[in-house]
Amino acid sequence: MIQIRCPWCGLRGAGEFRYTGDVRTRPDPASVTPQEWRDYLYFPANPCGPVVETWYHRMGCRRFFTAERDTATNEVWTLEEGMR
Amino acid sequence: MSENHVIARSPIPPAAPVRVEAGWEVSGCHSDAALTITDCTPLAKVHVRAPWNGVMAKTLGVPFGRAARDSGGLLIGAGPGEWLMLARPGAAPDLVSRLEGTAASSAPEEFVSVIDLTHGRALVRVTGGQAADLLASLCGVDLDDDMTPDGTAFRSSVAGVATDVIRDDRGGPRSYLLHCERSSGQYLFGALTGAGEPFGIGVDGFLAPGI
Amino acid sequence: MTAAPMRMRLGPQPGEEIDRSRSFTFSWNGRTIAAYAGDTIVSALAGSGERVFSRSFKYHRPRGLLTASYLDPGCILQVGDEPNVRAAHRQAAAGMDVRSQNTWPSLRFDVKAGSQLLSRFLGPGFYYKTFIWPRRLWPVYESVLQRFIHAGQVSPDTPLAAADKRYAHPDVLIAGGGPAGMAAAAAAAQSGARVMLVEEEHHLGGHLRWGGAADLAALSELRDLVAGMPGVEVLTDAVVAGRYDDNWVAVVRRGLPGGAEQLIKARVKVLVAAPGLIERPYVFHGNDVPGVMLSTAVRRLINLYAVKPGERAVVLTANAAGDAAADDLRRAGVEVARVVDARSGGDIVAVRGHRRVRSAELADGSTVPCDLVVTATGWTAPTALLNMSGDRPVYDQRAARFFPAELPEAVLATGGIAGDGSRDQLIEHGRAIGREAARRAGRIRRDWQAALPGRTVLDELAVLDEPAGPANGSAGRPSAGAAEPVPVPDLPVDAHPELFRGRTHGIVDFCEDVSSKDIAAAIGEGYDSIELAKRYTTATMGPTQGKLELVNTIAIAAQAAGKTIAETGTTTWRPPYAPVTLGALAGRELEPVRYSPMQPWHEAHQARPLLAGAWVRPDHYGDPAAEAINVRERVGIIDVTPIGKLDLRGPDVPKLLNLLYVNKWSKLGIGRVRYGVMCTEDGVVFDDGVTGRLGPDHYLMSTTSSGAAAVWEWLENWLQTAYPDWAVHVTPVTTAYASMNVAGPASRDLLTRVTGGVDLANEAFGYMEVRTGTVAGVDGCVLWRIGFTGELSYELHVPAAYGLAVWETLMDRGQDLGVAPFGVEAQRILRLEKGHLIVGQDTDGLTRGFSAALDWAIKLDKDDFAGKPELAWQHDDDSGPRLVGLQPDDGSVVPPEASQIVEGTGVGGTGVGGTAIVGRVTSSRMSPTLGRAICLAHVEARLAAPGTQVTVRLPGGRLVTAHVTEHLAHVDPEGKRMRV
Repeated sequence: MIQIRCPWCGLRGAGEFRYTGDVRTRPDPASVTPQEWRDYLYFPANPCGPVVETWYHRMGCRRFFTAERDTATNEVWTLEEGMR
Repeated sequence: MSENHVIARSPIPPAAPVRVEAGWEVSGCHSDAALTITDCTPLAKVHVRAPWNGVMAKTLGVPFGRAARDSGGLLIGAGPGEWLMLARPGAAPDLVSRLEGTAASSAPEEFVSVIDLTHGRALVRVTGGQAADLLASLCGVDLDDDMTPDGTAFRSSVAGVATDVIRDDRGGPRSYLLHCERSSGQYLFGALTGAGEPFGIGVDGFLAPGI
Repeated sequence: MTAAPMRMRLGPQPGEEIDRSRSFTFSWNGRTIAAYAGDTIVSALAGSGERVFSRSFKYHRPRGLLTASYLDPGCILQVGDEPNVRAAHRQAAAGMDVRSQNTWPSLRFDVKAGSQLLSRFLGPGFYYKTFIWPRRLWPVYESVLQRFIHAGQVSPDTPLAAADKRYAHPDVLIAGGGPAGMAAAAAAAQSGARVMLVEEEHHLGGHLRWGGAADLAALSELRDLVAGMPGVEVLTDAVVAGRYDDNWVAVVRRGLPGGAEQLIKARVKVLVAAPGLIERPYVFHGNDVPGVMLSTAVRRLINLYAVKPGERAVVLTANAAGDAAADDLRRAGVEVARVVDARSGGDIVAVRGHRRVRSAELADGSTVPCDLVVTATGWTAPTALLNMSGDRPVYDQRAARFFPAELPEAVLATGGIAGDGSRDQLIEHGRAIGREAARRAGRIRRDWQAALPGRTVLDELAVLDEPAGPANGSAGRPSAGAAEPVPVPDLPVDAHPELFRGRTHGIVDFCEDVSSKDIAAAIGEGYDSIELAKRYTTATMGPTQGKLELVNTIAIAAQAAGKTIAETGTTTWRPPYAPVTLGALAGRELEPVRYSPMQPWHEAHQARPLLAGAWVRPDHYGDPAAEAINVRERVGIIDVTPIGKLDLRGPDVPKLLNLLYVNKWSKLGIGRVRYGVMCTEDGVVFDDGVTGRLGPDHYLMSTTSSGAAAVWEWLENWLQTAYPDWAVHVTPVTTAYASMNVAGPASRDLLTRVTGGVDLANEAFGYMEVRTGTVAGVDGCVLWRIGFTGELSYELHVPAAYGLAVWETLMDRGQDLGVAPFGVEAQRILRLEKGHLIVGQDTDGLTRGFSAALDWAIKLDKDDFAGKPELAWQHDDDSGPRLVGLQPDDGSVVPPEASQIVEGTGVGGTGVGGTAIVGRVTSSRMSPTLGRAICLAHVEARLAAPGTQVTVRLPGGRLVTAHVTEHLAHVDPEGKRMRV
């Protein structure tokens, strides 16, 4: 099990977290086309390499935070700083 | 009618003999075991939310990840911008108004909320030299003094339940307070006593209703 | 019964691990065998002169000792009700019932040995080729093949022996307790690291244990050093089963009471692989005849267990271990008939014998009568942990074994796996690796500590003292993590002849009975990749998993393919490295269960429990239909504690409600309650519930029972990631309240008797309103007047610790009103009569808002809300099914839930058919109120008009007709009963 570095709690096993997807901008609901909206919902970039994603520390501080992860190596480094 | 006539009950069935302490049905048993478990659910539990880096946070004085005693009880930095205050049974209403008063006087600009969660949570204390060994069978956080010394608070999975763990030795042997959602209390207590069997765990009653 | 004499037992040996003062007996295939404490099952058997322990997998050839270690493929036995015990490792115990496996009727006279005669039919891939065609005969083949299964018997009566798992966080974990591993452990601990030292055997020491006086002296010193070193946890009879990402290491402790094993999940800062080397068997004709042994087996038997391995020996040696074995044999009084030195061209051509070795034919043409043939032809590096760390070990032809190539920062290797060298060189290397491991671990630990909360912020707030120095007397770690890398001396690598197969063919995989001829044949058939050849022949796929036979397999495949070993490559070692019992993996059952405060009452009143998510709920108390009728006619109470409850505070709560519910929330007055539906961003119905406004900035939201956690997370997600500026605090209070729904025409009468501070009159406390007050003497109760059941009803939320007391009071005070409890089933009946949907029952993962008949709630004129774009498009194109009420024309037929609604009546009116699926029944019950079947269903939009006739296909194919009803509600569609 990989470790995720929670910006608030420190390193914890990935099982304490929920992966909530890569960080993307929600299109403006007033002007979005179906194609754009569904691309946003269903077609993440899924690169082989670094990706910025949101994680939720559901068993710990219950904060959502962004982390950069290399999908090829599972190396994780956190972008948001917590209390430190 | 007033509350005083109605018996409050913990989610954890009390071991015999049962008695009433501060309006709560508690176990009056006593254990001399080196490792003991006590249902501390009757303690008042008050939850405070405020900006983690604001004036109220400074006034409370306990950061996330730490716990400290004051005259009112044990104040725990339970989450970023989240505090839990434990105090003697029945103290919750006073505590809520005191904390609301603190917020109003010292941090009037900040969005602060204070909620009495006494009924919403279960609280268990495990005490003894092997308390960390017991916890290590159910919880994946490093319990070494280097990582989680006395006065540390963290939240993690204990036996699969999201649980606040507070290392609170009170100057004696190792002791942990475990705080979880009330409905999981009976399960968590059972998991701890089950995993504690190899350590000879004994159930101690709630005889000293201080914190 | 008298035990057989220990006729092969020697006098006391300097390093023996048996305790001659404690002897006992156990049973071996019904005979009594004497043993000393410290004996393995097989050392005791060998001490009594036993030579054959099992029969081989395919050909049922007799098998004896080969390695005298955990890996010994011929020593896998049944012990009591425990199958597949590694009997050359498991220590004997008094009264054990030990039996051989894979023999019938007995070990001595095994009828299946006839399959030896069939060996030419049992070549590689014979399973794949032989039993495939005709396919219909497979059951016959299977029943025959089952008799050949090479395993023991599992008893269904074995008591569960589950050991709790354990999490560990050592700075340094050392896999292997030989000289290098022990030195590394002591050095790492001396540098301040917390060390876990894991040794698979019962004692620390590795090969020093069966060495000479100098080895034993060094071993004793190392043992003292480790024992006296604080911070080292030694686990013997334990094995590192796997290494996963971020040094997540699985350690299995064996030999706990009851045969249990314990799984330790260790998050290790630095892993040191020190597994030593495994002696490799030599392949030649007859190499599996009992009496052919490895040099290490001979040395273990003599030095650890004082057992004489035979009477007259031939020793084939290519290294110092073989030479030492010859010396040990002579010292033990075994006649060493010939030492064949492979370094100068000597070789064994074949061994003759069946149940025991009779003679050995040598390359010089001589035949030497003997009962023991010892081989020392080289070593296999067990690189499993290195593979699992991402390394691809490389083959060194000069040393005839694999070496680590490139290890990650947090993994180190020492001991035989890293090189050769003298005892002192290995210890020196281990020591340096241990210090380096501690240094790296110290750096990682500081990094991890720095990531913990409440550290640097302390200074900023200046209110608490950082704990000064080590707390509670634990050892400090002053020197851990010295800055400079520790210089690690290189271990020399000795030249060793490449010896895999001699001049004849023999067994390569002793577990799977795969011969070198089979591997060559597989290559000849075109399976020229080692991965393919392995799977085709099943070589390396038996219980030893390649530890003995992998390199020989590769070498023989390489030779057959005309390639080098380096070109052929190696197969990948995957976890687990050693067998792990399912009990260890399972551990204690940790399935969180949640109970309501009223659970003791339900249990006392014969409630049939229903597991709903983690909740235990009363399904019913005996007669759900009667419970439903009682609600319609009198008053019932249901425990609805699992309903999700979120306390919402702050001035921006209405914004949040407007964003997440499809309907409008800006104008909810204090004391009012409103029903709301949430959709996800794809417009799919996600949850529903009511939210009440308790004060100016204070709301209580309810969710479905199963959706409570997900809704909380959904709210937090929006608040934290999209609108962090909104002033809203969400606190889950699901079980802060014991919740009960008091429903039925007499509910107001009942509540009036026990409620204080709330005027319950219809004019004062109307439908869809909320009040707070005192119930049954308990302050701080929340009452909301809603009607999931369709009756006048009040949902009470009582501070949870008083829940049982309030429930009991209501039951007591309502006796004359006919109060009775009702369970989940009665509630489901009542809400279906009323046509209230259940999210997840009447909707699924594709049901968008307009398909759930929520047209009245969805407000597309709001600027934004979760799922709005999709709902707007659904509104425009009118796509997707519709939720409708449905009544079968024959009211006595209740179509099971999920029954299909079909079109087309089949060919020629046969009644068979229904050629197109146009919907399905989502909920169905017999309505006790109406005395007929009622349903909710999804149908295509064109069929949703009231009065439309549809066809429902029952399980089994029968078709029945049904009509779409005017309303979802089958009872009281006008909603009069709720508003009285």
